[in-house]
Amino acid sequence: MTVDLDKFVKPGKDHYIALGFEGSANKLGVGVIKHNVGTLSESNPAIVLSNVRDTYITPPGEGFLPRDTARHHRNWAVRVTKKALHDAGIKGSEIDVICFTQGPGMGAPLQSVVIMARTLAQLWNIPMVGVNHCVGHIEMGREITGAQNPVVLYVSGGNTQVIAYLRQRYRIFGETLDIAIGNCLDRFARTLRIPNDPAPGYNIEQMAKKGKHLVSLPYTVKGMDLSMSGILGYIDGIAKDMFGKKPKQRLDEETGEPITAEDLCFSLQEHLFSMLVEITERALAHVNANQVLIVGGVGSNERLQEMMAAMVKDRKNGQIYATDERFCIDNGIMIAHTGLLSYRMGITNELWDTVCTQRFRTDEVFVKWRED
Amino acid sequence: MIDLVPTAIYKYKEETVELIPGEGPHSTDGSTQQISEVVTNAGGIDRDKPSEHNDTSLGHLRARLTTLHDEINIFLTSRMKGGNSGDSDDVERRVLDGDDDDNESDEV
Repeated sequence: MTVDLDKFVKPGKDHYIALGFEGSANKLGVGVIKHNVGTLSESNPAIVLSNVRDTYITPPGEGFLPRDTARHHRNWAVRVTKKALHDAGIKGSEIDVICFTQGPGMGAPLQSVVIMARTLAQLWNIPMVGVNHCVGHIEMGREITGAQNPVVLYVSGGNTQVIAYLRQRYRIFGETLDIAIGNCLDRFARTLRIPNDPAPGYNIEQMAKKGKHLVSLPYTVKGMDLSMSGILGYIDGIAKDMFGKKPKQRLDEETGEPITAEDLCFSLQEHLFSMLVEITERALAHVNANQVLIVGGVGSNERLQEMMAAMVKDRKNGQIYATDERFCIDNGIMIAHTGLLSYRMGITNELWDTVCTQRFRTDEVFVKWRED
Repeated sequence: MIDLVPTAIYKYKEETVELIPGEGPHSTDGSTQQISEVVTNAGGIDRDKPSEHNDTSLGHLRARLTTLHDEINIFLTSRMKGGNSGDSDDVERRVLDGDDDDNESDEV
């Protein structure tokens, strides 16, 4: 069955424009996207008109609290939106639909951003569409990379899932049983008091590049799922021994050289990413696929991409797809793009149905815009 | 310049409370909407302060709304504190903190 994306096109119009708001964690993103009528393809791609982001950054050693993050989003929403509209060169009257992250995410920041979306929707009399944040990542990744039907590894500060598409749902094949991978990395960054600017995970990645010695850590793949809280507890313990009040030097078992903070970052990444590669490979085998798409903020980690590529290349016609930080890290454009796909299928949310929810699983979304 | 004054009415059972921003002065930098102390104590710089209001009707409305927001926060917080002392009608605490006993969703 071929999906007709233009059943609801306004008479006389040859394109659609969507404004998207993202604010489920510490990034406030506003983006404007344009789709020309017709099926999206290499010759008719989605056009990014603007993609503006502002990140709430806390001091080293501190995470981001919901109320302060919400405050950041509230106080920057108007400025970021104005810039997004200015960069796109459009007016409110040209927008077909306003899209917002409906969940999953942190309650207070989600709430701040949906208020901005509701206000503009009522001011300009424009319909709204609520978007699942995870599906937003997947659809933007597919659009940017051109991956047709990949197994998706979704890795971020709040989510860790291996996903495959079947019969208009993104099915979760495996996921974390406790904390997300980005949360694991961020919390270790706090232990080492690594700066949160531009992002703790990015700074860990840079330190890991200088690591030489692999410290043995637990490896906790459980079937298709994985667990990371125990690994974090274990490496936190090592770090506290090494850098706590009574610092204790730790030596590499093979060379006898001292273990450094860089070695710990390197070891943590190697273990966690190996676990991700293992469950992704198993998902590929399950669905007999050969494409992997990595999305989410941790997906911009070059070492993860490298390790995944090594696995994928061993498979027949294996292909790996990833995007850069503009689209990997939370952004408004992915929400605009996915919301616009919904809108083109005639899906909109009435005002009463724009309540955000912290829990909103990827497989709850009926993917009406993709073929069965 | 037209004076635009926002108000809020709280109703629960027999109780009705009207909150008004009062005479002022008003600003967009609300007392209950400051950055957490834990952040500033850790050396964080507040770069997320709201912009000041303009000297227009809508600008003054924005400032009064911030005052009203403060009043609502203070009022509801005091209600929550009352609820913790054993008041069975502590609806705010149950709404904001959740209550395992009555299957409320976690929607916000």
